[in-house]
Amino acid sequence: MTRSTEATSAVSASYAARRRVSLPVGTWGVILLVATEIAFFGTLISSYLYLRLKVSHWPPPGIEPPDVTAPLILTAILVATSVPIFLAVRAARATHVRRAWLLLLVALIAQAVYLGVQIHLFSSDLDKFQPTDNAYGSIYFTMLFAHHVHVLVGILMIGWLLARLLGGLTNYRLVAVQVVAIYWYFVNAVAIAIVLTQVSPSL
Amino acid sequence: MATMPAPLGRQRTERLERIWAEPSGVVGWLTTVDHKRIGLMFFFTSLVFFAAGGVEALLIRTQLLHANSGLLSPGAFDEAMTMHGVTMIFLFVIPMSIGAFGNYLLPLMIGARDMAFPRMNALSFWIYVASGLFVYTGLAIGSAPNAGWFDYLPLGSKQFSPGPNIDFYTLGLIFNGISSTATAVNLVVTTFKLRAPGMALNRMPLFCYAMLATSFALVFALPPLNTALIFLELDRALGFHFFDVAQGGDTLLWQHLFWIFGHPEVYIIILPAFGIATAIIPTFTRRKMVAFPLVALAEVLVAFIGFGVWAHHMFAVGLNTVTTVYFAAASLIIVIPSGIQLFAWITTIVTGTPRFKTPLLWIVGFIVLFLLGGLSGVTFAAIPFDQQLTDTYYVVAHFHYVIFGAAVFPLLGGMYYWFPKVTGRMYYERVGQASFWLTFVGMNLTFFPMHIVGLLGMPRRQYTYPHGLGWDGYNLVESIGSYLLAAGLLMVVANLAMSLFRGARAGNDPFGGDTLEWSTSSPPPPYNYAVIPRVTSPYAMWDREDREADQRDLAGPAERVLDEGHETPASSVLDADWDEILEMPSKSWSPILLAATLAAGFTMLLTRHYVVAGTLALLALLVVGGWHWKEPQEA
Repeated sequence: MTRSTEATSAVSASYAARRRVSLPVGTWGVILLVATEIAFFGTLISSYLYLRLKVSHWPPPGIEPPDVTAPLILTAILVATSVPIFLAVRAARATHVRRAWLLLLVALIAQAVYLGVQIHLFSSDLDKFQPTDNAYGSIYFTMLFAHHVHVLVGILMIGWLLARLLGGLTNYRLVAVQVVAIYWYFVNAVAIAIVLTQVSPSL
Repeated sequence: MATMPAPLGRQRTERLERIWAEPSGVVGWLTTVDHKRIGLMFFFTSLVFFAAGGVEALLIRTQLLHANSGLLSPGAFDEAMTMHGVTMIFLFVIPMSIGAFGNYLLPLMIGARDMAFPRMNALSFWIYVASGLFVYTGLAIGSAPNAGWFDYLPLGSKQFSPGPNIDFYTLGLIFNGISSTATAVNLVVTTFKLRAPGMALNRMPLFCYAMLATSFALVFALPPLNTALIFLELDRALGFHFFDVAQGGDTLLWQHLFWIFGHPEVYIIILPAFGIATAIIPTFTRRKMVAFPLVALAEVLVAFIGFGVWAHHMFAVGLNTVTTVYFAAASLIIVIPSGIQLFAWITTIVTGTPRFKTPLLWIVGFIVLFLLGGLSGVTFAAIPFDQQLTDTYYVVAHFHYVIFGAAVFPLLGGMYYWFPKVTGRMYYERVGQASFWLTFVGMNLTFFPMHIVGLLGMPRRQYTYPHGLGWDGYNLVESIGSYLLAAGLLMVVANLAMSLFRGARAGNDPFGGDTLEWSTSSPPPPYNYAVIPRVTSPYAMWDREDREADQRDLAGPAERVLDEGHETPASSVLDADWDEILEMPSKSWSPILLAATLAAGFTMLLTRHYVVAGTLALLALLVVGGWHWKEPQEA
């Protein structure tokens, strides 16, 4: 029987991970977190569509339809960070801690750039119209804000991982790498749904 | 435990005692991560809120005792009515059923030593306490929520409710939702991963299926509520327009989101009660549950179908006919899994050898009341009938039969049933039976006449009513019934409180129980089981050979005792094969600190200090980061 929590080196953590016959407790935890978050974003997007179908002009007169190019390119960048994250999980499981660290750093930089540009776009949108103008503004900004907060939390989690991995790999940290990866796959999948909803009036 | 443990066995139990000991006194309770202590804290706290909700109910009934009563002002009546609903749903039934019963019993029933995330469990409790205090602060400063527990718009909007009353409701319930979600996630992962090796899914007690289904429903039902609450708070605090028709918003959006949560919520409330019924019935009928797999499936199905019926709360708001008919049909389908369970309970009792002790009496009462509440519920699927009776006392009668009769009766039966396990003492049997009859009579006197006054047209949510409409007599009976009901509940509390000090010693298994928790001592030790139990059927306690093997294993292989650390086994999800040994976290200050930080954050949102609230949110994230800094093997 593996005492996996006692695995405090990259080799023993990797061994514990390979010995497991089912997903560890932490992974199930994040799967359920993601499940409840999917219900949350599902509700946000449904509310957007519900409000949209109630009116004849969406966005209302006086507000330009949303720009398509910039959000789509940004989302592509964010979704692409799934690749280094996926590779980082594989590297960590294969005891290559240094490689995993660098891959996570690559993802972190791309995500930080994404968030920076998105914040800029968010504030320039605010110059054009306000969430207090009408229901379109309310749901538009609320939906985007909710997603940006999730990106920020994900970035903080990767920052935490980078700090912890400097001290080497343990079973706990290896599970954490997988947990953060699952969170990010979810954030990236939601990014696609959000951006398509966001630009839908211009399509 | 008739025989003395062998010397090796004694050494091992002593070592386990040392490893699992927690600090004594107040500090021990503040930092505890033991699911049993957390369960007890949930129990006592939710009892306090039950009392508060009960006082509010008695105020309502006293106000309606006779026509044109002036006991409560219209405004005070609205607050009492709203706080009664909010308290009973969010601060009593959910914390009592999943927080107290789920937390205390589920790990015991599956042979685990703790929940999967013990510190998150503690966090969930402290958030629950803080959110309850948050909502009740509104009452204390004279601004209690007052737009009903459903808080319909536009009444709940800034325009029509300018005070902070509704802000206590929105922020308090968002805060409370964090607690329910955390407990639900914890229960699911615990059920999936911490079952004693050998307890494959088909050997899991039905109680655990009910808890699993409830927890899944919570995971998916709370986000729509939270979204609605966030929208409403943004509307109220920052002038957004989600529910403002003039600016493209829609008041019905609130009702949709609220009832997408609200209807699954009904099953979230009632499923743990079903689980308790399926735990009590086999014990007192000396017979395994009839149709075990069907009942397990029905429990899960009820939780699932519950998500597709929300608009039957909205038949009178002007949805189109196709939508209404769809939801009426979906609502009828729920009768099937509910019926399966009802027939299974009745058949088990009838074909067994029932001993009508106090716990089983409550369950029989529950079956009767659930049948009545279920039948009146079916009538609402007839759309024209629903449109006539919506917003009358007929609806109040129906959902109190379901929520009080069907959800709270098993909770009370469960209190009697597990009291000997939790305290090591027996309750007084005759007083217990008397308390059942008093409550049962009081319950029916209170709520049955409501069907009739509802059919006579008495509207609900009104602070008073005029003479001469033929309602006076019924209302008098209802109010008298409510006092009897309260007396019955006080009798339950008095019985248990007296028994705590004077009750006879109960021993491990006073009833010949069917599930694992009866195999350990009463009250259970901090590590629950010295030997990780063998499980070969869902009625583990009735497998005598397995239990005897457990006794022998105390001096057997170390793997079945795990006395080298704060450990519990994790197993695979379906077949429960041995997977790994987990080092569980022990006492921690992080949960209560995090809950306090969040409470401060929500208070800042209430007082509109958004920068401070944002800073506190970041601080909370820092606490979470620190929480995960220390790893299990370093503890």
